[in-house]
Amino acid sequence: MAKNSTKGRPAGNARQAKIQAAQKSSGGGANKIVVATVVVVVAIVAVVAGVIWSETSKKSAVVGSGKELPPGVTALGAGYPAFSDVTPVAGAPTLDLYEDFQCPACKSFEDQFGQTVEDLAKAGKVKLVYHVKNFLDDNLGNTWSTQAANAAFCAADAGKFQEFHDQAYANQPTEGAGFTDAQLKQFAQAAGISGAALTTWQQCYDAGKYVTYVQSVEDSSARQGVTGTPTLKLNGTQLGNAELASPDALTKAIQDATK
Amino acid sequence: MSTTADEAQETDTVAWYRNERVRDVIGLLARLFLGIVLIVAGAAKVGHPVTSQRAVQAYQIFPFELAGSIGLVLPFLEIILGVLLVLGLFTRLAAVASTVLMVAFIIGISQAWARGLAIDCGCFGGGGQIAPDATKYPQEIARDLSFALAGAWLAWRPRSLASLDRILFGH
Repeated sequence: MAKNSTKGRPAGNARQAKIQAAQKSSGGGANKIVVATVVVVVAIVAVVAGVIWSETSKKSAVVGSGKELPPGVTALGAGYPAFSDVTPVAGAPTLDLYEDFQCPACKSFEDQFGQTVEDLAKAGKVKLVYHVKNFLDDNLGNTWSTQAANAAFCAADAGKFQEFHDQAYANQPTEGAGFTDAQLKQFAQAAGISGAALTTWQQCYDAGKYVTYVQSVEDSSARQGVTGTPTLKLNGTQLGNAELASPDALTKAIQDATK
Repeated sequence: MSTTADEAQETDTVAWYRNERVRDVIGLLARLFLGIVLIVAGAAKVGHPVTSQRAVQAYQIFPFELAGSIGLVLPFLEIILGVLLVLGLFTRLAAVASTVLMVAFIIGISQAWARGLAIDCGCFGGGGQIAPDATKYPQEIARDLSFALAGAWLAWRPRSLASLDRILFGH
């Protein structure tokens, strides 16, 4: 009984066989090997060309060529220690903060926690280290993360990193719109840089003095597994929702980590 | 119950789901579905090489450099497989490769979930670490599973309507 149910098939197969036979006898049909070779060659060329093009566009995204390290930074790839003039209290933990100037979630973090973190760092209760990343440049198709970071470290030369940083987050453009050169200069001025210091800042900014450093921080932080921002590490341990529920929760986590 | 089923099968018309034409149409739909998804996913990553690299690196499976290379190559591989599927050229080979790729993605997402990583799959661009409560692992796995099923169908039965395989090679 069950076998009867497949009685439609032989007819179909026979028809298929006839079609194939007809095609073979007429000598029709393309040579599979030739077509496969063409496809493979096109595919290889496409991948190689694509990868080379990607690498080229990556390099051209970088502006400036300086290799200087910001004040207080000891090596390429290392974070920038904020408030280095403050003497930390005994056993103060280290808070590593990974941010990108174009990251909206970083702005949210700064709006909610920025003042708390700053106060704790000023009081020496936490050693605050900024890791300024620039990976959103690639995602957004501009170079403003790198340029804003460079501008911030140029401000660090004048001792105004924190002030510039706060200005940049307070006035962050909508994601993708990017900053402007004029805007970054305004931030420098609003941060309290003026006169000869502003001229120095402008020269530093135009030269892209810290671009290589910013790129090195991006690379080294990604190697450590930080591929998103904002990321916070307290004494090397990544903070989660519990510690970031409120400024009080973060303060308590920092207190608990104080030895 | 079984009698009714047998009776239905004994009629001259073949059950619709055994009909070769219907299966050819399913094959066409599977090709277009998976092919277009692959092209869209690949195209979303082209022009964003660092993002694509970071997305792969965020899974923390491969060494950093290797993950970076995968991130560079993957978008173009996806587009090539997608184009082959849409054209219906070397359907079985393209379908097997696509299915393997989707299964690899599912494994990658699952291990990230199991290890407690908080990442975006980066399936259609983007990717990298996100807030732990923003992860969408079940949805991402379900989505990739549907792509894998389309691929598996074509691997099992690559014949379909309007394919270059049929036009060029007659099958």
